[in-house]
Amino acid sequence: MKVLSYDPELCTGCYICEEVCSETWFKVADAEKSSIRIRGDGQGILSAVFCDQCGECIAVCPTEALYRDKKGIVRLRKKLCVGCLSCVGFCPQGAMFYHPDQTQPFKCISCGKCADECPAEALTIIDKN
Amino acid sequence: MSKQTTRRVLAEYAYKPSDVERGYTGQTLYVNLSDNTIEAKPVTDEMKKKFVGGRGFDLWLLWHGVKDNTKWNDPENEIVISSGPCGGITQYPGAGKSLVASISPLTEVVIDSNVGGHFGPLLKFAGWDALEIQGKAEKDIIVVIDGPGGRITIEEADNVPVDTHLVGHWLINEMAETEEDRYYMSTVSAGTGSEHTRMGCLNFSLYDRKRKAPRFKQAGRGGIGTVFRDKRIKALVVNSAPVRGDSNHPADPARIARAGTKLHKEIHDHDDEQCRMRRRGTSYLAQIMDDYDLLPVHNYKFGTHPDTPKINGDVWEARYTQGLPDGCWYGCTLACAHAVDGYTLRTGPYKGEQVIVDGPEYETIAGCGSNCCIFEPWALLEINFYCDTYGIDTISFGTGTAFVMECYEAGILDQEKTGGLELNFGNASAAVELLHLMARGEGFGKIVGQGIRRMKTYFAEHFGADPAFLQDIGMEAKGLEYSEYVTKESLAQQGGYGLTNKGPQHDEAWLIFMDQVSNLLPTFEDKAEALHYFPMFRTWFGLCGFCKLPWNDTQPPDNAETDEPAKIPEHVQNYVDVFSGVTGQEITKEDIIAMSERVYNLQRVFNIRLGHGLRDHDNVPYRSQGPVTIEEYESRAERYDKQLQEILNLAPAGMTTEAKMAALREYREEQYEKLKDAVYERRGWTENAVPKVETLKKLGIDYPDVVAVVEKHL
Amino acid sequence: MIRINDRDEIEWEKGLTISGLLERFRYTFAHIIVKINGEVIPRKQYPTRAIPDDADVWVIHLIAGG
Repeated sequence: MKVLSYDPELCTGCYICEEVCSETWFKVADAEKSSIRIRGDGQGILSAVFCDQCGECIAVCPTEALYRDKKGIVRLRKKLCVGCLSCVGFCPQGAMFYHPDQTQPFKCISCGKCADECPAEALTIIDKN
Repeated sequence: MSKQTTRRVLAEYAYKPSDVERGYTGQTLYVNLSDNTIEAKPVTDEMKKKFVGGRGFDLWLLWHGVKDNTKWNDPENEIVISSGPCGGITQYPGAGKSLVASISPLTEVVIDSNVGGHFGPLLKFAGWDALEIQGKAEKDIIVVIDGPGGRITIEEADNVPVDTHLVGHWLINEMAETEEDRYYMSTVSAGTGSEHTRMGCLNFSLYDRKRKAPRFKQAGRGGIGTVFRDKRIKALVVNSAPVRGDSNHPADPARIARAGTKLHKEIHDHDDEQCRMRRRGTSYLAQIMDDYDLLPVHNYKFGTHPDTPKINGDVWEARYTQGLPDGCWYGCTLACAHAVDGYTLRTGPYKGEQVIVDGPEYETIAGCGSNCCIFEPWALLEINFYCDTYGIDTISFGTGTAFVMECYEAGILDQEKTGGLELNFGNASAAVELLHLMARGEGFGKIVGQGIRRMKTYFAEHFGADPAFLQDIGMEAKGLEYSEYVTKESLAQQGGYGLTNKGPQHDEAWLIFMDQVSNLLPTFEDKAEALHYFPMFRTWFGLCGFCKLPWNDTQPPDNAETDEPAKIPEHVQNYVDVFSGVTGQEITKEDIIAMSERVYNLQRVFNIRLGHGLRDHDNVPYRSQGPVTIEEYESRAERYDKQLQEILNLAPAGMTTEAKMAALREYREEQYEKLKDAVYERRGWTENAVPKVETLKKLGIDYPDVVAVVEKHL
Repeated sequence: MIRINDRDEIEWEKGLTISGLLERFRYTFAHIIVKINGEVIPRKQYPTRAIPDDADVWVIHLIAGG
């Protein structure tokens, strides 16, 4: 299964990944619509939040809208989603996101666009079993 | 939606469902089964402003629909169903509740009953803020509300089942064409037990996608199922467009989402170490009540039993299927609507069938279990299932059966009178058999099905029983059976049950811990304040479409440090945010009380209008206040002797138990009368429990016909 | 003496913890708040925090029953 991987040592905090992600999926450069969030702790240590495809959200979804696709990636079937945001509250990483002008949540699906564009090569897609 | 039907259509109404705007469609649906009228009524600004929705709309419509002398089984009686402006949002746990109101066959005044399931929200998304049904059909019918099809029909229903679990199968197999069709359909149904008892309940369905089966929540109290079948309704069916996060077109979705995701996370992080609702639902309460001597045992004689562990939360956690999203409306992560799957019925007309049992919940565990001294899980599953499918309220059945068992053991009843049933406490098989008899309306079952109030009269008239003893031990007030908490040592909760509008249902107030355990309500004024605040606060949930369990069965970890932790202030603020977020009306926590006061006072006046509702109407049986029998006194002798000494300056050592009981009784009955005085004053009512005109004026409900009712008593 | 909820009194025992007191009174409900002499005690201290002599103890139970 392909998942995103992040190396905090290489990350320069440029936030290009957030721009690329929101542009790709929402056609707008807006960190609040990115499925990857880079966070600084105020003392120069950076970390990233994004879905690691753990699948815990699948059980909490009341409509079976969340499922694991053939490649093992956790996806959302928009046709079934009722926008309850239970998954947002239950995600252990806080990696299921919500934006007020969308009724449905969104998350990283390992598309790799951010990894392609990361100038510091801090993001890569790796194979996780 | 539905497959081609061969049912004869008696009336048809074409419409375009109104869009929901900020929680309201602006229309209520009126159906009259006597003349097959189907029409839309507008929701006025006055209705929204004064009555909000849910119970408020129910009462307003019912008030105008019936006459002063309307009886429960007159065609003029109505069944009104409404959720409320927040009903049907998906982001905040517990936002799918509906309120149902009618004139009750048990109390002969207004009953309001709350219920989960999908019908209420889907009704709104099919275009209607409330459904108002009046009249009586000549033959059995169904009413079908098809939102996407823009069509409402009244149809003959000879081939539609009566018992609820069969109605569920019929819905998904006969009415839905595809799996997807099932998602946004729901029924309201009763059962054969509703035809033969006064304690009929309604079942509201929800489609459980993981189980691929219909499940049911109940509008249990007050016999509305009996009214339903009296009107010859077999089922109400609604079908709506798919539910979405913005189906209510809220004013401020971000505000709702912030509150919702915060509560989801709180439940995820803390439910396991708090009440474990996601794993065991309300069954957690059984052992707790037993620990505090509050669990009804032996018809409320005692508060604890050594066998309670056989039916406590651990047992049910192991029986309920775990790990499923058991919310009764989308987005409820408190998920307390658990079920036992694959249970094989041992008795009755469906013996041998493998079924899903929706429960048992606390009230069923306590009422049909400990209160009857039944500690066998199979019996609770059997009773729970059959009560649901027959459309019989498990609380009235449990409390009613406990009364019958005490009468049996006291020699008032015997096997000849019960048609062979040995109704001793603990005889699970006999209790189950009694339920089947009640559903068929046969023999002794027909008598028990009338409820405790009428059993009191019957046993006195036909079996020579002492009416005073029956009155003392028969746990009903206003004609409705008590729900399952022992109130003997909590004056506040005696009032919490006795000073209600609908009858002794804990819906209004649950003050036992605050009063009896934590001693936070020491004076009459404290109790009166609590008996004003909490009923008003709790009423509000039923105006908006909210379930109150996410308010208090889960807590923010820092709740202890707040000023008034019993009110769970952060959650109250959540509700303010959600209500304002949906409706666009900025409200404060104080506004919540005012909104409820209008509805509450209207309901009181309504009871008076129907010929009751005065001071005497709030009387309670002595079993709810103190020890009726010697063994009850002796089970708490130390506590009672101490009270006689400290409060009444008596010397218990030199007194007989009978004398002590008499002294205690006089004192407690006096206390209750004083409580009435304090509470009526706080509520703005006269000594005779009549809302004063100035109170009605202050609340803005001094309509001429409302004032006319109270003026007769001032 | 220790006074609980302004009503019940028991003899003070050296080393009686909050957990011990709750067990004695069978206060098993999850949603409680314990105050000793006006101070709210965090739940994690219940097993270890001893109650002092002459303490004014409140065990506030929140509401159940929905």
